[in-house]
Amino acid sequence: MNANVSIQSYGLVAEFDTPGDAMRAASSIRDAGFRKWDVHTPFPVHGLDAAMGIKNSPVGWFTFFGGCTGYTTGMLMIWFMNGFDYKIVVGGKPLFSPFYAFPVCYELTILFAAFATLIGMCFLNRLPRLYHPLLKNRRFAAVTHDKFFVVIETADPKYSPVETRKLLETAGSRHIELIEE
Amino acid sequence: MSSHAISASPAAGANSGVNPLWAKLPLILIVVGGLGAAFDAFTNSAQFGYSYLTAFMFFLSLCLGSLFLVLMHHLFDAGWSVPIRRFLEHIAFLLPVMGLLFLPIAFLAKTIYPWMTIDPHTDHALHAKVALFNTKAFYVVAAALFAIWTLLTYKLRAWSLKQDQTGSAECTKALRKWAAGGIFIFAFSLTLAAIYWMKSIQHQFFSTMYGVYYFAGSVWTTLATAYVIALAMKATGRIPVLHRRQFHDLGQLLLVFTVFYAYIHFSQYFLIWNAAVPEETFWYVLREKGTWWYVGMIIIFGHFLVPFLSLLRIDAKLKIGLMVPLGLWAWLMHYCDMQFNVMPHFHPDGLALCLTDLSCVAFIGGVLAFVFLKYFNRHAPYPQKDPRFAESIAGSESHD
Repeated sequence: MNANVSIQSYGLVAEFDTPGDAMRAASSIRDAGFRKWDVHTPFPVHGLDAAMGIKNSPVGWFTFFGGCTGYTTGMLMIWFMNGFDYKIVVGGKPLFSPFYAFPVCYELTILFAAFATLIGMCFLNRLPRLYHPLLKNRRFAAVTHDKFFVVIETADPKYSPVETRKLLETAGSRHIELIEE
Repeated sequence: MSSHAISASPAAGANSGVNPLWAKLPLILIVVGGLGAAFDAFTNSAQFGYSYLTAFMFFLSLCLGSLFLVLMHHLFDAGWSVPIRRFLEHIAFLLPVMGLLFLPIAFLAKTIYPWMTIDPHTDHALHAKVALFNTKAFYVVAAALFAIWTLLTYKLRAWSLKQDQTGSAECTKALRKWAAGGIFIFAFSLTLAAIYWMKSIQHQFFSTMYGVYYFAGSVWTTLATAYVIALAMKATGRIPVLHRRQFHDLGQLLLVFTVFYAYIHFSQYFLIWNAAVPEETFWYVLREKGTWWYVGMIIIFGHFLVPFLSLLRIDAKLKIGLMVPLGLWAWLMHYCDMQFNVMPHFHPDGLALCLTDLSCVAFIGGVLAFVFLKYFNRHAPYPQKDPRFAESIAGSESHD
């Protein structure tokens, strides 16, 4: 190991005992104007989005355009196959009509929308991610059990080693730790 | 447990903040619409009959749709819909009034329904359906439908009003029982009504989806209407316990029924198109002639695509600037849908809107609004002692 390599710190982790405490801390951090921070809880907490000031996720746009792509693909595919490339008259119907093509297009709409949602979600969350500094922390393992954690990254422009720690203390955390990268 | 939440918001000031013109509007509609419609009834009884039927089926949708939402509330033991339940009960209990308003249709039935004057021995389709389509059955079924709707909606409202007084669990249990039986009655009676009064104008037609089709459009229109009524009730302070949650859920259900209606109507068309059996296709062939084709397009794009795209975003359901115009739009679209079902037989060349159509809508709408306001002002504006009342408004204070 090269001792000259400076070890970067990742962020401050503050532990809370109840969802209410974490929620109040989240509100005060939101009001203080932090941007690179997160709250980790063992289960979904209603109202946390509002307390953190998180807006509606843009993942819906991926879903919408995925759906549009699916619909168009279905129509083009069926038109190409039945109305253009290999024409067969079935039941005296027109070679191509959006009516009989619709059920397939509708299903492709759903399929592509679902794919786009999944891929969009992974993209926005920068997943898959094989390493995360928080996972080194022993105490953080309790997040899957009964503890609530607020993490403020050192990369946040508002971050200051003293002030941010003080903010978390005032918010009621009894255990605050600096996590290394 | 819920008393503390109610005590802060009694029904006081029910008449505050209402423009006197609005209060008089139902009477104006009754007089103007009634005179117009009565004049047409004597000068052109066939046009009047179909126009009146269109308006009647339009408003029947609202009553049956409200009945459905009340039934759903009890069946799912829902919490969110407690604040909107009372005015829905009132709208559902307009069904006995609809029974009186049915009289012109009963008198003009022979003019409206061709099968009533056709000899079944000369018409195979009619002969096959004669058990249903005979004059006696028509009147017996109509009487039975209104009797059963009156009983059901009366009971659902009476027990709910009793709950306001006693707050006992007995009321909730009785309401659940009526709802459990009522949902079956609802499904059968609505289907019969749609078949007898609307589909039988062209008695040769077959569609097993016709009842569901009318149902989907009805609930869709009712949800849009309930949203606008709820907004008005909140704005005038009559139902202060309405919060973001009620509006969001109503908006969400509106999106659901936008899709459901499109699904049902598409399925009906698609199956008929695919099978290409003349006994079924003639119904749509007629509706693709003349300007009816454009009405069909309006239904595809206006009844489905426009509301669907505008309601997709989660925040759209809470935007008053979008939802109020959409509520009016829903009325227009549902009325188009009713015209599309009733009128092509009488006006095969295309849509022929006339003053009679407007008079009939005004008259029936005026009568219903008048009775509704009477009901509404007489009782508490929302359920007072529902066990789920506190739940329905819980958590709304923080982000109203």
